[in-house]
Amino acid sequence: MQQGNLTALSITIFIILTVVLIGFLAGRDKATRSSVEEWSVGGRRFGGLLVWFLVGADLYTAYTFLGLTSTAYTAGSLAFFAIPYSVLAYFISYFFLPKLWKVANEHKLTTLADYARERFDSKLLSSLIAIVGVLMLIPYICLQLSGIQDTLQVAGTGFINVKVVVITSFLLVALYTFFSGIKGPTYTAIIKDVLVWAIMLFMVVSLPIMHFGGWNPMVDKIVTEAPHLLTIPESGPKGVTWFITAAFVSSLALFMWAHAATGVFTAKSADAIRKNALFLPLYNIVLILVVFLGFIAFLVLPDETDPRFALLALIQTSYGGIGQGLAYSTIALASLIPCSIMAIGASNLFANNIYRDLINPKVNGAKLTMITRGMVFVVIGLALLFGLVFPQALVSLQLLGVSGMVQIFPAIVISLFWRNQSREATIIGLLVGLVVTFTVYSTGTSLGIYEGFWGLMANFATVVVLNPIFVKKAKHSSNAVKNYLFDQSSKEEQLVRKGA
Amino acid sequence: MKKLLLIVLISAPFIAQLVVLPFVNRIDPIIFGLPFLQFWLFLWIVLTPFCTLGIYHLQKSEGSLD
Repeated sequence: MQQGNLTALSITIFIILTVVLIGFLAGRDKATRSSVEEWSVGGRRFGGLLVWFLVGADLYTAYTFLGLTSTAYTAGSLAFFAIPYSVLAYFISYFFLPKLWKVANEHKLTTLADYARERFDSKLLSSLIAIVGVLMLIPYICLQLSGIQDTLQVAGTGFINVKVVVITSFLLVALYTFFSGIKGPTYTAIIKDVLVWAIMLFMVVSLPIMHFGGWNPMVDKIVTEAPHLLTIPESGPKGVTWFITAAFVSSLALFMWAHAATGVFTAKSADAIRKNALFLPLYNIVLILVVFLGFIAFLVLPDETDPRFALLALIQTSYGGIGQGLAYSTIALASLIPCSIMAIGASNLFANNIYRDLINPKVNGAKLTMITRGMVFVVIGLALLFGLVFPQALVSLQLLGVSGMVQIFPAIVISLFWRNQSREATIIGLLVGLVVTFTVYSTGTSLGIYEGFWGLMANFATVVVLNPIFVKKAKHSSNAVKNYLFDQSSKEEQLVRKGA
Repeated sequence: MKKLLLIVLISAPFIAQLVVLPFVNRIDPIIFGLPFLQFWLFLWIVLTPFCTLGIYHLQKSEGSLD
């Protein structure tokens, strides 16, 4: 690896430390860690703009930038699947998140698994959802870890021991998350989002000028020299069908992730969530341009460049110390801050839905809060351990993360609208979906269709076929959440119709 | 009439960003410096919020927004 740049490294470290400090300051009020609800979802007091920053910070991670550019570098326009995926994810969220938020707010729920437990009266289902959530999230945290590791490697080779710095920065993040809860990543998210927008736009404007004399000459050059990058392959293992199914399944999966749900539950009203559904697609303007950075890397960098380092190498060859430093710190923050929110999401699932629902139902509030907070160290520790010690074991889980997460969609979203959806059919459907996904993946029989799509279809089919068998019980049973979702509103409607 | 508009607004983002992709998967014409596929995706980043906004207002006028 080429020697790093001392100015760039100093700027990166300075910005990381500043943000960690702000993360700590965000939690100087003791109330931020007084209960699980305060610590993990900020007491549900965040307005539209803050939620926008938080969810944006949450979902646009270092892996988004590094992964998309390296996909663009190797597989061209397949990388654009991220655009319809996230635009549709927000669009779909408009139809169910406000409802989900209201149930969660009414019944003081902080995780999706909490909702499933109350909706179906099933601790088995909630702990299953929590296990899937934690299992899929830890590899995702590892991806963030490798993001910052690659960045520091490019910035600091010859000056620092990269592993030591990575471990230190993650421990600092764990510490401020433990201390400040969701307040930490929220305030730092604003810095990160502003930096991301500024730096990515700066790169998108300056790089074409530096290397090609402008945007249009660059596009002309791609069209003549590498036209294969600009369209989706018509056939092959990953072609248009893969693109469409991957985008669709991922869009359903996005808000099933624990960290995304955590972000959403911080909102103070259903309307704040609607506004977010409305404005979040605009975040993708920056994303579509980032993919072009991968194309620039393809044209500019020597052939033997490791695709994983495409964006970082492009930054290194194009800018001086200050430009490099700002770009590296942006990517580093895009790694650390989502990591903090992910750790909150995973800890919450573990403490509420694995520890309390499964192991110790009688745990009191203060102890549960402490366990939830303490789990941050376990989650980040596990991510560090796996990421640094067994990086290869994670590859499958990372590839299957989205396909696995989407399997809880019927339990979480369909159940908001379908009163007679039964617990038994939902649980079996979830398991069938997971098994089919993993089987299709490990036997390589996806037929050019996204693995999760097969799993989700099997999942839906199972629920629909089995539900009539169990429907009798579901029809007659009732509980607070069901009442809230279905009966109360029908009562209100009746009142309105009667003109009362 | 309102119902029809609602159906159009709900289905348009899906049709435009998933169903018709095989037909917009092309380089020409280049519009605003973007090859056609990228232009099309860009266009729907901007148009999807308008669909959501339309649905929001329709629901509001019907009073079905709780």
